[in-house]
Amino acid sequence: MAFADIDRSVIGREYDRLTYQPIAAEEIVSYAKTLGVPDPIYFDEEAARRGPYGGLVAFPTFVVKLRGGQHLPPEVARQMSIGGFDAGKDIELGVPIRPGDVITATSTITELYEKTGRSGSMWFVVFRQHLENQHGEMVANVDSRMMQRAKEKKEGAS
Amino acid sequence: MSGDARGATFDTVEPGDDLPEITVELSRAYVKAHATAIGMPFPRFTDDEGAKAEGLPGQITPGNMTLALLARELLTWAPGGRVKRLGTTFRGLALAGTTVRLLGTVTEKDEEKRTVECDVWMETPEGDRCVIGTATVELP
Repeated sequence: MAFADIDRSVIGREYDRLTYQPIAAEEIVSYAKTLGVPDPIYFDEEAARRGPYGGLVAFPTFVVKLRGGQHLPPEVARQMSIGGFDAGKDIELGVPIRPGDVITATSTITELYEKTGRSGSMWFVVFRQHLENQHGEMVANVDSRMMQRAKEKKEGAS
Repeated sequence: MSGDARGATFDTVEPGDDLPEITVELSRAYVKAHATAIGMPFPRFTDDEGAKAEGLPGQITPGNMTLALLARELLTWAPGGRVKRLGTTFRGLALAGTTVRLLGTVTEKDEEKRTVECDVWMETPEGDRCVIGTATVELP
């Protein structure tokens, strides 16, 4: 089987749904501190209370931590499992994450395509984690592009 | 650069303005600590030996961390702003143990939504743009 043979009905089908434990304040603080965020509204509860959100919120890119349970559906993962790497990410942000929020991530494939350049063919998979909080509010759509050099098709291989 | 000591505001920025440059030392310990905090303590992100075993020249910075650093660039420029959208392309390796520059520029202004579009990027010591991106930021 080759990348081109992956049944395209996988596109748009939810393949993973994960509800996380309530987000802990410590996790929010640790994220901002290890990144070196200078604005204390992302790591200091007292400063955050006086800030624009009236309390501690996660630094926006915290959402990329919430990658769901299953990275890719099995029929896609089989083709992308060796030597694939992250080619880019597009995030659309809704309401901020606050301590105690219960986030549900649902995952879908949005695109599968092949590109041929000077160095040969590359395969691309775009998958989306849609994040919602316990109020049904959109927290983020995180679209990730995985890229992998095309595997050579062996003679007679299916 | 635009804005004042409190940071950029919608009324003070114009297309063509540059965001202030931020220099970030991607020390091995810093990259490892953040990779671990985001649940990606994989060998390529935690040490040179692990990365070399995967055919890489040395420990690298996770794409998710470079994305976050570009968001940091935006919100350091506009601390009261909200990033509404950030899209990035990881074009090259950001090697741990190097010092990179974060840069950006305002490209458009939407008067109705009070948002601006920005180009943002990360440059290696050699001047290569290893990560490029575009962002929509709502400004106070």
